[in-house]
This record gives sequence, structure tokens and C-alpha cells, in this order.
Amino acid sequence: MTSAYILEQIANGIILGSMYALIAIGFSLIYGIVRLINFAHGDIVTIGAFAMLASVVVLNAPFALAVIFVLIVGAGVGMLIERIAFRPMRGAPQVTGFIASLAVAIVIENLGIMTLTAQPRNFIVPTWLSTFVPLGPLQVRAIDLTIVVLAILLMATLALFVRFTKVGMAMRATAENYNVARLMGINIDRMIMLAFAIGSALAAAAGLMWGSKYSQISPLMGLIPGLKAFVAAVIGGVGSISGAMLGGYVLGLAEVLFVGLLPPEYSGYRNVFVFATLIVILLVMPNGLLGRSTEERA
Amino acid sequence: MLWLEDVHVRRGGTHALRGIDLEVRRGEIVALIGANGAGKTTTLWAISGLLRCQQGRIAFAPDTQRLDISRMRAERIVAAGISHCPEGRQIFGNLSVSENLMVGAYLRGDRDGIEQDLAAVHGLFPILATRAGLPGNRLSGGEQMMLAIGRALMSRPKLLLLDEPSLGLAPQLVEQIFDILQRIRNEGTAVLLVEQNAAMALDLADRAYVLETGLIKLAGDGKALAQNVEVRRAYLGVGP
Repeated sequence: MTSAYILEQIANGIILGSMYALIAIGFSLIYGIVRLINFAHGDIVTIGAFAMLASVVVLNAPFALAVIFVLIVGAGVGMLIERIAFRPMRGAPQVTGFIASLAVAIVIENLGIMTLTAQPRNFIVPTWLSTFVPLGPLQVRAIDLTIVVLAILLMATLALFVRFTKVGMAMRATAENYNVARLMGINIDRMIMLAFAIGSALAAAAGLMWGSKYSQISPLMGLIPGLKAFVAAVIGGVGSISGAMLGGYVLGLAEVLFVGLLPPEYSGYRNVFVFATLIVILLVMPNGLLGRSTEERA
Repeated sequence: MLWLEDVHVRRGGTHALRGIDLEVRRGEIVALIGANGAGKTTTLWAISGLLRCQQGRIAFAPDTQRLDISRMRAERIVAAGISHCPEGRQIFGNLSVSENLMVGAYLRGDRDGIEQDLAAVHGLFPILATRAGLPGNRLSGGEQMMLAIGRALMSRPKLLLLDEPSLGLAPQLVEQIFDILQRIRNEGTAVLLVEQNAAMALDLADRAYVLETGLIKLAGDGKALAQNVEVRRAYLGVGP
């Protein structure tokens, strides 16, 4: 095993981790504010990928514009889902919201299959994205570099927004205590909608990355990344945004390195490694890497 | 400036408020005393819009205009000029002290006014200025109480609702807080004070109400109520 090979594996882990992190943020953001595990979140990844395909093929938009379009579609769909499926259930037991999210997932997936068929289709990306760029000792595909840079850009923007703006502060206050946030004059319905908008926009961005990287998309493509990003969110400590980012990269690296460094006959156990990582981390740190104990949060 | 008329609130399965009438006038401190579970906190929640009253009316007149706030959303009630400092302090533990104060001014856009009020809060509670960068959950109980009151003042309220400010604090601190309530009143903010410590509350208050199982049992001048035989026996622990 050469060091270049290991370096390449690490790069692959970071690329995969970037996408997991983007999706995981949505899980954590939404859970942090409404205590809802949104199982329809993975389907936003699908929607983002198809929105990208539509904007490139149908609208013939340049890449940068298409990315913005995808972010807007993701945010819009997220807000719509919140308004239709979750807001009417505000105040109901947690499990009700959980079941509603499963229903939303099933509706989106089946709508996708009915209108677009379950057949995977080719994802068309601009040719410059498939070119190789030298990066130190490595040759990296332009798309991979784009994924990492775009992901870090989006995450840094979010972190600055949450940390330094008035609305970001209001979101943190709402996540901590609903009723007291209302006593400050914060419209919590708007904060919840904003959490869905941001989380879904990031998931949609991950969808366009996923499609561009693997060149194939289908109505069910969001399931596995969604599930793994949920694992990443739990690893990082669900409810914590920085935890979700860290969890995404930990999981992406662990997955790639397990597969890349172990003998090839184990590569079929990819997902076993993912969940084993989860179990081991939760055994050692039950609240995840950066999560707070529930007592503290109450 | 605040009127509750025949207010009923059902909370869970219980009929927590069974038709109460209460008034707070401009520039006064009104105490609301009563045993645990009498409905004191429920009354404050109904006023600030965290709970809906099923019957009756709550009206508020920040200036000359009288608003019906019984159906208003909590955030609009804050905007109208009522600030509620909840029981148990409930500061935002993950936000810094200065962020806690700024979130109190969330609805305001007047930078200069906010700066002024921040200076005023720091004047009332100098410790908050030295703790500005610390996360709220690192403060002591007394400091958290000061932060909670300071945060409630940052919306520049016309009426301050205060729920059990003495809870869990050392007597000396309680006295300090009560002194500050007097200063707040003297600067023109009316206060509706819910308190377990009936003796201190009646001593401070201009007027007071005694709440018993969801009904107003007695009302009147604070000092006069403190002399009332029933109040003395039930809430002050003195007399036959």
C-alpha cells in the first residue's frame, strides 16, 4: 500500500464525508428545533439531483446558476413539506411526527417512480467537471474538488449565519426553549420553517453532488445517503450542527478507509462498517461526539 | 393598563383558572400570591399568550389605546409592551450573557435605544457586564436571575410579568432583586409579581391579589392585606 494510495483514500473519504455532512446538518437542524427525526430528508437529496438535471437539460443553465436553482428548489420543497405535513401535527407526540415523515418519504418516492419511472437515468454534467486537476501528489476530478469546496462554502456560510446574525441567534434560542423564545417575541413557526428551508437546501445540494459524482440518478437514490447521513448526525450528536458536520466526515472517512484498506473480499461489507462505527461511537459516547446530554437540553 | 375579566383557562384536564378578575394600573407593583397550584403561573401564561383563555377577556393599554390581547400571538403581545420573565429563570444556557440580553431586544430595530437599554441593564446589574461573553449556563443562580430580569427589560416593556424571582435565591440576593423591582417601577414600568414569599411581596406591592384554586379570594392594598387575619394565617405563617 503506497502512501499515494492512502492519500487518495483519504481524499475519497473527505469527498463522501462532505456530502454526508451536508445531509446530516438538516437532520440535526430540524431535530434541534422541532425534535423531529425527518425520514423524508433523504428524499430531498433525490429532489435536488432531479432539479439539477432539469435545470441543466431543460433550462440549459450554466453550472453555477443551476446550483443556486437547486438550493432554492430544496428550500422550497422543505418549507412546503413542513407546512403541509408537520405543522398540523405541532404539539402531537414525537412518534406522530416520525410516522408523518415516513409517509412523506413514501409519497415522494412513489410520486417519483410514477412520474419518472424507477429506471436510473444518466446525469449529464458539463464536461469540465470530468477533467482531472493536479492537487499535490494526487490527480483529482474537477467534480470532486467542486464538491468539497462547495460543501465547505455552504457549511461556513451556515456556521457564520447561525453564530453571528440576529436570526441565527433566534434559531439557537428557539432550539433551546420554545416557550421562552416566544416570550422574546420570536415567531417560532418562522424559525421552524427556516430550519426546514436551510436543511433541505443543503440536502438538495448534496443531491446534485451525488448525481454529478456517480453520474446516475433515480427516484430512490436518496434512501441510502439519507440513512447514512442520519447515522452521521447521530455520531456527531443529533441536534448539534457542528456535530453533524464532524459526524459526516468521520463516517465518510471511516467508510472509505475500511473498504480501501481492508482486503478486497471485505468490500461488500461496506454498510456493516458504517453501522459498526455508529455502534462503537455510541457505546463510548452515548450523546455522540459533540452532543449534549438530554438533561442539559431540557 | 391591564385588565383580566372573568378569565377561564383549562390546562390539561384541570380547570386552572375559574374566572378571575384582575387589574394592573400604570406605575404600580401588583403582587399575586397563593399556594402552589393556585394558578399564579397560569395567570401569567394566559396574559403573555403562552396559554389561551377559553372564556373571558384580557385587555392591555400600553398607551391610550386599549387592545384585546386574549387572542393575540405571544410575539405580538411582546411587541405590544408586555414582557414575561418566566419561573425558574429559563435563560438560554448555550447563548452568551450578551446574546441573552440581545435576544430580549429581538423585536426592536432601534440600535441607539437598544444600546441605551443595555447600558441601563448593566447599571442595574453590573455583574452582567463583566460576564458578557460567558455562556448563560455558567452563571450562578443569582446571576441567572439578574440575567433573566435584564433580558425581560431589553424589550423596553410597559408591563413586566415576573414569576417567582425569589425562587432558590439567598435572602440577601432576594432583597437586592426586590430593591431593583422598586427601581424598575419608579422608572415607569408596571410590574405584576407572582411570589411564594408572600411577606416580602406584600411589603413591596402597591396592591395585591390572593389566588386560591383558580379564583381570586382577596384583593386590596398590599400593606392592608398583610394585616388580614386569613392571609396572615395561610400565607405569612403567623396568628391563630
